[in-house]
Amino acid sequence: MSAYGYDAVVIGGGVSGIMASLTLASRGFKTALVSRGDPVCCLSTGCIDVFSHSDEPLGGIRALLPDHPYSLVGEKGIVDSLSFFLEIMGEAGLPYEGDPGRNRKILTPIGSTKNTCLVPRTMAHADMPPGEYLHVISFQGIKDFFPSYITSRHRNSTYSVYDAGVPTTLGIAARFDDASFLDAFITWLRGLEIPLDRVALPAVLGTIDPDSVMEKISRAIGRKVFEIPTLPPSVPGLRLFRALKRVMQNRGIHLYWGKGVTSVECQGRTVEAVTLATTGRAKRVQGRAFVLATGSFVSGGLFAGRDSVRETVFDLPVAAPGERKDWFNTDFFSGAHGIERAGVRVDRDFRPVGAKIDNLFACGSILAECEIMSLQCGHGLAVATGVAAAKSCAQELS
Amino acid sequence: MTTFEHCVRCTLCVENCPVFKVNPAFPGPKQAGPDAQRFRLDGERSVDDWVKLCCQCQRCEVACPYGVNVSEIILKAQLKYSREHMSPFTAHLFANTYHLGKLGALAAPITNAVTSSGAARKVMGVLGLATNLPMPEYRFLTLNRGRRRKGKRRSSRKVVFFHGCYLGFNRPDIGRGIRDLLAGLGCRVAIPRQTCCGLPALGNSDLEIAKKFARKNARMLVEYIDRGYQVVYACTSCGLTLVHDYPEVLELPEGRKIAENTYNVHEVILDLLENDGCSVEFGEVDRTIAYHIPCHLKALGIGYPAAGIFEKVPGLKITVLDDHCCGLAGSYGFKKKNQQTAEKLGTIAASAIKALEPDALISDCGACRMQLGHYTGLPALDPSEVIIASLEKGASKKSRGKRRIP
Ligand SMILES: Cc1cc2nc3c(=O)[nH]c(=O)nc-3n(C[C@H](O)[C@H](O)[C@H](O)COP(=O)(O)OP(=O)(O)OC[C@H]3O[C@@H](n4cnc5c(N)ncnc54)[C@H](O)[C@@H]3O)c2cc1C
Ligand code: SF4
Ligand code: SF4
Ligand code: SF4
Repeated sequence: MSAYGYDAVVIGGGVSGIMASLTLASRGFKTALVSRGDPVCCLSTGCIDVFSHSDEPLGGIRALLPDHPYSLVGEKGIVDSLSFFLEIMGEAGLPYEGDPGRNRKILTPIGSTKNTCLVPRTMAHADMPPGEYLHVISFQGIKDFFPSYITSRHRNSTYSVYDAGVPTTLGIAARFDDASFLDAFITWLRGLEIPLDRVALPAVLGTIDPDSVMEKISRAIGRKVFEIPTLPPSVPGLRLFRALKRVMQNRGIHLYWGKGVTSVECQGRTVEAVTLATTGRAKRVQGRAFVLATGSFVSGGLFAGRDSVRETVFDLPVAAPGERKDWFNTDFFSGAHGIERAGVRVDRDFRPVGAKIDNLFACGSILAECEIMSLQCGHGLAVATGVAAAKSCAQELS
Repeated sequence: MTTFEHCVRCTLCVENCPVFKVNPAFPGPKQAGPDAQRFRLDGERSVDDWVKLCCQCQRCEVACPYGVNVSEIILKAQLKYSREHMSPFTAHLFANTYHLGKLGALAAPITNAVTSSGAARKVMGVLGLATNLPMPEYRFLTLNRGRRRKGKRRSSRKVVFFHGCYLGFNRPDIGRGIRDLLAGLGCRVAIPRQTCCGLPALGNSDLEIAKKFARKNARMLVEYIDRGYQVVYACTSCGLTLVHDYPEVLELPEGRKIAENTYNVHEVILDLLENDGCSVEFGEVDRTIAYHIPCHLKALGIGYPAAGIFEKVPGLKITVLDDHCCGLAGSYGFKKKNQQTAEKLGTIAASAIKALEPDALISDCGACRMQLGHYTGLPALDPSEVIIASLEKGASKKSRGKRRIP
């Protein structure tokens, strides 16, 4: 059977690939997105770190070296891509807020705070002014959420525990989708007569419409309410991914979720098609241009052998920092691991440097020099480079 | 080949498991699959009875970025568990839906009356069957009794239609519609005698019956493949059984060949429209429809080909929903021990559909249609019904010189 043809085929269904697809589709190109499994976004806090290493993301980015992918996008590009993201999330019914000029602090399950840039509305009140009182709600048997860690770090805080009948974050979140469960929870919460300013819960306020759940609780008790992201499996990460997927489907992007791209067909310097390993047999998907967004080591876009790093789909040249002994720092938490800079180097148009292919663009955590862990710029970099690579791709197509 | 040892414990599969979400007794795909696999040494009797709570939707496997065969591991653990423990009568009953279907169809009016009567519902309860759902109705005029060949004899596109039990016994009208649609688009269509794909038997851990059915079908399908036919299926669970379970679980020698030559009916139609230059006119269908993607279509990894056809239908407003399992999962939801799980999942999937305020829902899977039709109260259609309606309208509008859909 012949293949189905698209203008653009995006490989990899993480935040960068999704943002690239949405950019291409919004310019009228017939777009497909192929992915092998779900992206790390589903495991994340759901918050968009643009540059959490400093309090001022744009300020921090200005100080980066010219070969950092953010520098290739440029400040205007970054700001525009983040507004595009906010617009998409509005359309998805999961509105986000935040300002690329200034980070905000959100509470973590161990009571510390973490810098981040854009947050879902359920975390809008997480950045507390000093001196305010906090009441934490935990759930019977829940794993990896420690209200006493939080109260021990926060002078003005207390906590109580609710029995939701299930101990898992996903199970509790599914219960919050149910109006009668929510009503019972609210009745219990009112009975506590919390005299304090804000109420925080682990991020379990439903999978479908968390904003309404939060507002209903907040109105019932007359307090500001916010969610604290938990360790994976992460409900806000899953919400973010599903919301983005919803918009892709509404905008007519074709999704192929399966076992991923196993081989590519090139004619001279042009990629013509990719082959997907669907269940039982192969399927060809044709495109006029391709965007590579297969992520870094966790997602399998990059593979580290004994002595070298490989790019797994096109076998593109990979920039890796020296020999294996230079990849890691002995202090794990130092953040300065050489391997973090490994990846595919791209030019100003996001074309892989040294690739013998003209209609290919790359974006996201597969890029060289991005240092996502130490700069804490995961989703933000994925958004900015995804949109930027797609813009170049759109230019190639028209 | 990836195995349980490739699991990095990321929990992406867990996030996608419908049963884990609503039934605290099920520890989820990571634990039921790769984690527990380490302890399932051959020769040791299984103790993990919760493994039977998995509904085999395969969402875990689709989500795993490391290619771990999560649901296959669980299926094999289910089979092992059943080998070692007597399975209850209901399992045998459902393992044999084909014979049940044949009988049901022969005596259609009686079967339907009996399964909906109050006394029968009591008996069902005793047998461990859920009584909250309407049982499927049987038709007397099954596909086996219809026309077995259609379309131009010398067409270069030859397809053999694997319709499965549901279209065969319960909705032969849809089966005939698909047969005529393919013929109208220029295919030579054959509908040979066939038995159940074997999935219900597998789902009820009856490996022997599953193999018996599968061998019969495999012999027949390979004969057609060798004569240049492509196998097409409409029911996505039958399809997944052919392309995945025949080679991987039932280990049929013909399994690979069948998998490589088997296509979803909408893949074939889309290919005819896009690449074979088949010129047809789609007429307007002014409807707002929710398209519930069956888990097994997702698991096939071929994308959602029917959605590609719907795009060509003027006036049709389709929203694709692929995050929910309907909860019925073949015969799973008909069992009393799964009734609550099925009910909860059915309600969740239905509320996602109803939120769109559609006037109908579509699903490729007969089980989904039954379950979601029940929980939403909406008409539940097969994709082909909408495609045919549109083509009929297009053909009647101005058909001279164009190919007509009979
Ligand atoms: C546990 C964890 C938590 C994190 N939390 C946060 C957070 O809270 N905030 C934040 O901003 N950042 C966070 N990050 C970082 C951030 O998630 C990532 O940097 C960013 O989302 C990467 O997006 P991406 O699109 O580049 O790649 P990915 O999300 O890695 O997506 C790549 C996709 O490509 C697919 N793929 C791979 N190979 C193939 C192939 N051959 N064919 C088809 N598809 C293929 C993969 O399966 C995957 O779905 C976190 C990272 C991790 C690991
Ligand atoms: S998704 Fe795959 S790797 Fe992750 S926990 Fe599940 S089986 Fe393991
Ligand atoms: S097959 Fe479905 S029910 Fe079974 S473990 Fe996987 S996701 Fe859960
Ligand atoms: S019945 Fe439908 S939704 Fe349910 S598991 Fe089967 S295919 Fe999925």
